[in-house]
Amino acid sequence: MDFSVVSPQNLSQLRNAIRTLQRKPYRIGAGYTDLLMELRKSDTSDLTVINLAQINDNGLSHIKSLVNHVHIGAMVTATSICMNDDIARRFPTLQQAAANLASTQIRNVATIGGNLCTASPSGDMACAIVALKAHCVLMNVDGKKRVVPVVDFFTGPRTTCLKKNEFLYKIILPRNHKQTQHIHSGFIKVGTRNAMECSVVSLAYHIQVEESGYVIDAGIGIGASAPTIRFAEKAALNLIGKNMQNFTDENRNEFAKKVLTYASPISDVRATSWYRKEVLYNISKSVLV
Amino acid sequence: MAKKNLKIIGTPVPKHDAKIRVTGEAVYGHDIKLPGMLYGAILRTEHPHATFTIDVSAAKKLPGVICVITADDVDTNNISYKRDHPILKKEEVNCIRDEIAAVAAETKEIAEKALKLIKVKYKIKKGIYEPLDALKSGAPLINKFSSGKFEHKNIAEKFYYEHGNIEEQRKKSMVVVKRTFTLPRMTHACLGTSNITAHYNKTTGKLLLYSSTQVPFLYQRDMAHALKMNPSDIRIIQPVIGGGFGSKLDMYPFEPICALLSIKTGRPVQILYSRHEEFLASPTRQPMTIEIEAGADKDGNFTFRDVNVIKDNGAYTSWGATTPFVIMQAFSSLYTLPACRFSATAIYTNNVFAGSFRGYGNPQATFALERVIDLLADKLGMDKAQIRIKNANRPGETTGQGLFFETCGHQDCLQTVIKKAGKKRKSENNRYRRGMGYASMIHVGGGAKIYRSDGCGTTIKIDPYGYCTIISGSNEIGQGSETVLAMIAAEELGISLDKIKVINTDTDIKPWDVGVHASRTSFVAGNSLLGAIRILKEKLNLKAGELLQEKSTSFNYEDGFIKTKSKQIALDKVVREMHFTLPNELAIASYFYEPSSQFQDKGFKGNVSGTYAFASQAIEVEVDTYTGNVRVLTVHVAQDVGKVLNPLLLDGQIHGGVLQGVGYALTEELIFKEGYLLNPNFHNYKLLTAADTPDIHFYPVETHDKQGPYGAKGVGEAPLIPTAAAIANAVCDALQIEMLELPITPERVLVALKNKNNK
Repeated sequence: MDFSVVSPQNLSQLRNAIRTLQRKPYRIGAGYTDLLMELRKSDTSDLTVINLAQINDNGLSHIKSLVNHVHIGAMVTATSICMNDDIARRFPTLQQAAANLASTQIRNVATIGGNLCTASPSGDMACAIVALKAHCVLMNVDGKKRVVPVVDFFTGPRTTCLKKNEFLYKIILPRNHKQTQHIHSGFIKVGTRNAMECSVVSLAYHIQVEESGYVIDAGIGIGASAPTIRFAEKAALNLIGKNMQNFTDENRNEFAKKVLTYASPISDVRATSWYRKEVLYNISKSVLV
Repeated sequence: MAKKNLKIIGTPVPKHDAKIRVTGEAVYGHDIKLPGMLYGAILRTEHPHATFTIDVSAAKKLPGVICVITADDVDTNNISYKRDHPILKKEEVNCIRDEIAAVAAETKEIAEKALKLIKVKYKIKKGIYEPLDALKSGAPLINKFSSGKFEHKNIAEKFYYEHGNIEEQRKKSMVVVKRTFTLPRMTHACLGTSNITAHYNKTTGKLLLYSSTQVPFLYQRDMAHALKMNPSDIRIIQPVIGGGFGSKLDMYPFEPICALLSIKTGRPVQILYSRHEEFLASPTRQPMTIEIEAGADKDGNFTFRDVNVIKDNGAYTSWGATTPFVIMQAFSSLYTLPACRFSATAIYTNNVFAGSFRGYGNPQATFALERVIDLLADKLGMDKAQIRIKNANRPGETTGQGLFFETCGHQDCLQTVIKKAGKKRKSENNRYRRGMGYASMIHVGGGAKIYRSDGCGTTIKIDPYGYCTIISGSNEIGQGSETVLAMIAAEELGISLDKIKVINTDTDIKPWDVGVHASRTSFVAGNSLLGAIRILKEKLNLKAGELLQEKSTSFNYEDGFIKTKSKQIALDKVVREMHFTLPNELAIASYFYEPSSQFQDKGFKGNVSGTYAFASQAIEVEVDTYTGNVRVLTVHVAQDVGKVLNPLLLDGQIHGGVLQGVGYALTEELIFKEGYLLNPNFHNYKLLTAADTPDIHFYPVETHDKQGPYGAKGVGEAPLIPTAAAIANAVCDALQIEMLELPITPERVLVALKNKNNK
């Protein structure tokens, strides 16, 4: 590996760094847990890595709990997400996704921004973020911000809507509804190992239930099942207005079938397309207990 | 004879080298840096089967490149026990590991850059990737150096064995089961990747190798043959070894290549594998299909086994081809059996070759055998525990193959795990299904007489300060043999452990030993050390008697003193008196121990080991029928270890072995497609982690075999041998399905469930 490194110390230096590299190949390094592996495989002789390790910016590195939203900076690590009480209590799907990522060592450095920008179809935190209907705040070299729904952030396997003069600044989670009395929220990761595992199939669900037991809002994200992480909108809508206590096998099958319409998985060395669909169907059923 | 009232043996002494390992001070092969050292790198083929032309001129011109070699530049002999493996391949490649050029350069980066400058033109040929395809008429000759002594040119090796009257036993059988099982390629995944540092001195003509081999003296001979040198001009020093598990039992092309680069340049050269290279180019467990037909009579007594094994030999031969030595033992002798017929054929293909791997064919055999035992029990309507206890081996038994069990803990092992595991817990719901599986194993426990000698030499000395140095032919690959040897010396000589040094890494110094394999080291090196101590004590006793004016020669060695009931003298004083007074003798002794085992005859009959180890495991699993994931809940292990020498080290062997066995059962497989390796990384090669470790309960069974040091048997391989078999049985029990293949991946589980539901 043979590349140049620039290490901006603050946001304006970061913007300048990106500005000066507009005509050259560059990559942004946050936790490096994916990037290093990738760089090892490629020709990096002309590459510059913009290293975020030394940057000092609260917007990038903090979790901020506000009245209507939670802001998560792109540099927030999986470990910080795991340990955040607001996220653990109100957004368990994200907490579980972060907690099941790789290993303690990797969680300590891997960032949520990296997980999104890598745009892997099997990204765990990214899948939960999709289920939570979050928005991404992108900033360009002039400091101008652009807000996009997270589903639109992903444009294909390993590609995003980020322009060359932009970077991911933060993620905004909408608060649960005021009427929500109970949340049924979690992250199901299917793989063979209990650690250091990349999802073969994943499903993030975040279902908000009012006092009487009726579903008032739902978000379903599926990972490793399509070229990008998908928001299973029809499956989520299907739940709204239904009572959580009264799900029948028929409801479960209907829901799972709707989830499956978003799946177009590939066969690769880890599993066949058949297996991924079969399992996605099964675990979808298991969401509606 | 060894001591009876033991103070050190049987206690949990921490590993001799634990501190230097955890502090990072241990010098592994990767840490060696010699003055003027160059970095070697190997260019491997891009295609499993092709003819090629090669142009290294651009690589040679790169500044910092000192030497580039291809097959045209070297004069060497083929390697492998079949001598069918050229070190550098010329004009044709036959598997995806094939080495076609090598460079030595001033830095690792330059060496890697030079590889990229080598121009190779391939003409891809259609390879053969299924063993039976290689036997079809019209199949091309795959290895042109093969012996050609078998009925087909693509057969690399064959074994045939039988005892008893199969037809008679078949008639006695009430039930007969026939199945074909398929076993995968598993890799050792040693934490320390393969490495070697070679230093050839042009002035003296001597070659010094820092090598992680498990078998330094056989390696010295093989290296000498490859390089056309005298073995004694080659000195092997073993740095600290980061994992062996059998992978370093053979010599592979990268090792003589490194030596050749040093010979050509006259400078030290080091080759370190990357993790990618380790997955690609280090040997694997032998893949095979096992066709087995087995019977039992109406009372559940086993009657016969008729077994045919087909092994994918890959393009060249390594020790994987000889695994039938061990495989046939499992089929002929695990559980009492009146008749057995066994044949095995290793067939050349354009796949990678297999080497030796902890268990040496036994996990494969045990999986097939123990699955069939469950099926026989099902057919008879018999309890799966009872059919095993009924047929278990007994002390005093001589098996059809001639293995003699002077001690045998098989029944104890089975009864222990069956009792401890109890009944399986009830499945909580339809999604998660619980199952229980049993399996046993037999393995050599006192070496294996395959080479001309299965012995080990030891020299022991005590210095004038009362410190003891053990120079052992055996070596340490992380299993703890240094610790056990130090414990034996401490026990017998009354010298504290911190005053005992073990020297075992240098072929110029240490006496001969056949190497670390076959679970033999504690047994063979331990007995060898006890022999040396006996001789040394005779000398010390004589001097102590003289100094104490004591006629008796019966002394106790305790706390640094040589004692009688009423008198004592410091051990170091006795040594000084030996050295410095007439007749001026050294406190030193040497001994060569050769086990009582026999060579097998041409029909593979004979008592091949000094003793035999037995083990049983009972494993409970929970299968998620939604995902196909198998969770191993508890593993109960009972193992006939003869005598526990060090419970801490023994526990380490059990835990490591069981987890390796779980990996073999459930997750680990090198996946090849048309000769290309698809998962050369930990991302997709599913080596298990600490987070996947099940609850392991271990119950040592002590049978006190008089052949072993203090009654001990070999323990190293046994813990992984029955694990996959027991897990497979448990999964089949949980789901009432059949599993004919390892690993039992989640996908294979769901496919089996689907097939069952569609029936």
